[in-house]
Amino acid sequence: MMPDKATAMKAGLMSCHDCGKLLKTRETVKTEVLTCPRCNAELHFRKPHSLTRVWALIITSVLLFIPANLLPIMRVDFLGTIESSTIMDGIIYFFHEGEYFIGLIIFTASVLVPIFKIIGMIIILLSIHFKWKRGLRHKSAMFRFIEFIGRWSMLDIFVIALMSTLVSFGGLTSTIAAPAATYFSAVVVCTMSAALTFDSRLLWDAS
Amino acid sequence: MTATTTLIACPGCDLLLKKIEAHPGKKLFCPRCNTVLLHKKVNSITKVLAISISGLLAYIPAIFLPLLTLHSMGMSQNGSIFDTFLSFYHQKYYFVAVLVFITSVFFPLLNLSLLFSVSLQLKTQRYSRSLPFLFRTALHMDEWGMPDVYLIALLVSIIKIISVASIDYNVGFFCFIFLVFMTRASTSALDPDTFWKNIEQIRSDSSRGVDDAR
Repeated sequence: MMPDKATAMKAGLMSCHDCGKLLKTRETVKTEVLTCPRCNAELHFRKPHSLTRVWALIITSVLLFIPANLLPIMRVDFLGTIESSTIMDGIIYFFHEGEYFIGLIIFTASVLVPIFKIIGMIIILLSIHFKWKRGLRHKSAMFRFIEFIGRWSMLDIFVIALMSTLVSFGGLTSTIAAPAATYFSAVVVCTMSAALTFDSRLLWDAS
Repeated sequence: MTATTTLIACPGCDLLLKKIEAHPGKKLFCPRCNTVLLHKKVNSITKVLAISISGLLAYIPAIFLPLLTLHSMGMSQNGSIFDTFLSFYHQKYYFVAVLVFITSVFFPLLNLSLLFSVSLQLKTQRYSRSLPFLFRTALHMDEWGMPDVYLIALLVSIIKIISVASIDYNVGFFCFIFLVFMTRASTSALDPDTFWKNIEQIRSDSSRGVDDAR
């Protein structure tokens, strides 16, 4: 067990974001862009402007999340009667039909996951700003979980894509997308980009 | 020079650690933040080459052939993965259409082709200048290609539809399931560290070759 927790940055070493190669830095070259000799990626001690970018993306996704849930995401035209439904309407429909498992999957993917991602990232960002040192290990685990689940929120968009392609029997029954589809996919893109832009090493720099 | 070759920095928290070789099939975790440091895999390059070839073979039928045919009230309707992108496009939801196209049509193809080209070059010990760039792109692609999410969406849609129409499963459906399994398999067989070490090796060999020729 090493008594001092030395980081690569304190030792003047840089690890490449893309291939993980550890490199010595020369302090003289500050103006030019350093690139990794192995994979040609740009080298930085930490991802540049990580916190600012993540805050911007998270705030954007909070704002987009409101119309994504309030506006209808899908319209079903059944024999001339048009019925619009929001994300929550779709989930409630499944529960009424007794399809609890499917209802739960959709609820997790399109409601719980985005909320969890947004709140989780805000907690992590705040703990960096206020230099909270407790539970860093748990926050790291939470960030890895956020990274992992990010892509699964696309589920509902794909379901709408499939429904509007397959369920289109002319004037009898047809399904079309509604405005919230755009807002919801924008939320997915923003939260995924936020997780990719965030540098988890910043969490540990304060400790 | 010795310090950088005997040490490793944790990608999750930047902790400097002594480099240990992992046993094949075993994972090494960071003692501070629990991030996976190394996950060595057996025969990674050969496996990735084989998997990417089989994935590419299934790609065209999986994306362009109809997945399902629905029969309802005397009418029938079918659609492929590519048609779902077109349907958003025709409904003028361009942003969603582009996102669906990227995540379910374009990136799975790009990812498999890049992995195929990189693993083939490593297997035949040929170095091209674009090799590091190609592999870097393949690693970044992995997050945004979502055929596996699409498969779950397909199953959800089937359950939704099954009560209103009868469903015939077409060739595209089975090819798509195969494609999803191949993309997942390529991710789990991929050992980036081994790939980078090989790329570095081939790169230094080829540059030495150039110097000798001079």
